[in-house]
Amino acid sequence: MKRKEKEWYGKDMGLAVRMVLTTGLLILVYLAFLTILAQFVEFFPLLVIAAIFLFAQYYFADKLVLWSTGAKIVSREERPELHTIIERLCNLANLPKPRVAVIDTPIPNAFATGRSQKKAVVAVTTGLLSRLNNEELEGVLGHELTHIKNRDVLVITVASFLSTVAWFVMRFSFYSSLFRAGSRDRSAGAAVLIFLVSLLVWLVSFLLIRALSRYREFAADRGSAIITGNPSALISALLKISGQMKRVPSEDLREVEGMNAFFIIPAISGDTLMSLFSTHPPLEKRIERLSALERAMEGFHEIY
Amino acid sequence: MKFIDALLGRVRPAASKTEALFSITTAYTTLETKLDIFHADVAGICFKIIPSTTFERLRADLGELLTLTKRETATEYKMVKDSFGYLWIVLRDKDFEDIVTTMHLISNTLIENGFGESLLSSVFKFKKRDKVIYMIYNYKSGNFYPFIPMGDGRHRDEQYELKLGTLLRNELPVERDVEKWYPMWDIPL
Repeated sequence: MKRKEKEWYGKDMGLAVRMVLTTGLLILVYLAFLTILAQFVEFFPLLVIAAIFLFAQYYFADKLVLWSTGAKIVSREERPELHTIIERLCNLANLPKPRVAVIDTPIPNAFATGRSQKKAVVAVTTGLLSRLNNEELEGVLGHELTHIKNRDVLVITVASFLSTVAWFVMRFSFYSSLFRAGSRDRSAGAAVLIFLVSLLVWLVSFLLIRALSRYREFAADRGSAIITGNPSALISALLKISGQMKRVPSEDLREVEGMNAFFIIPAISGDTLMSLFSTHPPLEKRIERLSALERAMEGFHEIY
Repeated sequence: MKFIDALLGRVRPAASKTEALFSITTAYTTLETKLDIFHADVAGICFKIIPSTTFERLRADLGELLTLTKRETATEYKMVKDSFGYLWIVLRDKDFEDIVTTMHLISNTLIENGFGESLLSSVFKFKKRDKVIYMIYNYKSGNFYPFIPMGDGRHRDEQYELKLGTLLRNELPVERDVEKWYPMWDIPL
């Protein structure tokens, strides 16, 4: 069967290159860190501790996030429309259907989590369901389904592994250098050095992971546009959600602050944080890219 | 390839399969002769409406194509939009094979014009006395599954669905994963 490829899908080489570059840098930083660490300490136990810590976080990702956000799994009978929209999108994109959860809060938002495609959960807030129309909702759900398809929980967990080790080492060496502050032996100096190195590694890797996370967001927006064929609906949803985000009182926002990395729009406003530290790209950039897709889709040739 | 795609965060549109569509014709012989299940002279093809001009043109072209087909095979058609923003082309014909052929033609026209990934499913309506039986074809998996709604309460006759699934296994590619036997309520057929 001959099949006409739609040109507007493009490949987005720019995004792929940036992702590879970020991951490469992260690996370099980690390798350097391990090499330096090996000079001074027996780091194997630390690796094991960090591995257990992260694996637990990864393994229980769905339960942890559901519990901390108060999301409730809903059956098909409880939310038939939501289930149907998700089923149809999954069918179109040939993806397994995730479990569906709803959070009872007026803040419009959505997230996806879970360690594997089978364990995945897509959660939406009641605020989102009441404010978005079906097409906008599809856009948001397409974004979350792409996160699941791309295994973003796994990607970010793996990327964070040695960053977590660096964090442990930093804390450990800080206390141990306090301990030995009086005795001016070599080990005190070494502890300070390890502290500084791990601090640096932690900072750099933190920034890189955040950058990677922002690229994954762009990828999810793109995926949503490809699955739904309607980039403009996602733009309109993003605008609605972010407009609402600014208006809701901050007490409510603090409650959801912890789970930012998974949300479609972070619950704390970007103004307070530098964009470097942000898990999500700025709204204008996301809209710009989606608009480029919309133009390409209508045959205005400027593949992004 | 799947691994690299996931790593780079790429989504590829899922391709539609149409080859298995014709197997419903052979399966129908079995349904008719062994199970007293008859076709209800109607079937529908369901795909997502893409808000682009290319798609609008294709929709108009499909209309013309179907008007031409009607002259040859007397297959009636109508287009209905459902509440989820999907378009249904409902085909009506006493001749089951004509319906399947037209269905195949529509699917391939969509695929050739680059909208294969918008294809959701084809639904064939059958009757066994008062019982309405739908056979749903999923374009992405290339599999069929039965769907039998009961009453108004959104219940389905799961027992008979499972039985049909087992009975038809040799005639049709039946979806093995029962979790993917998604219901389709309010089918406009």
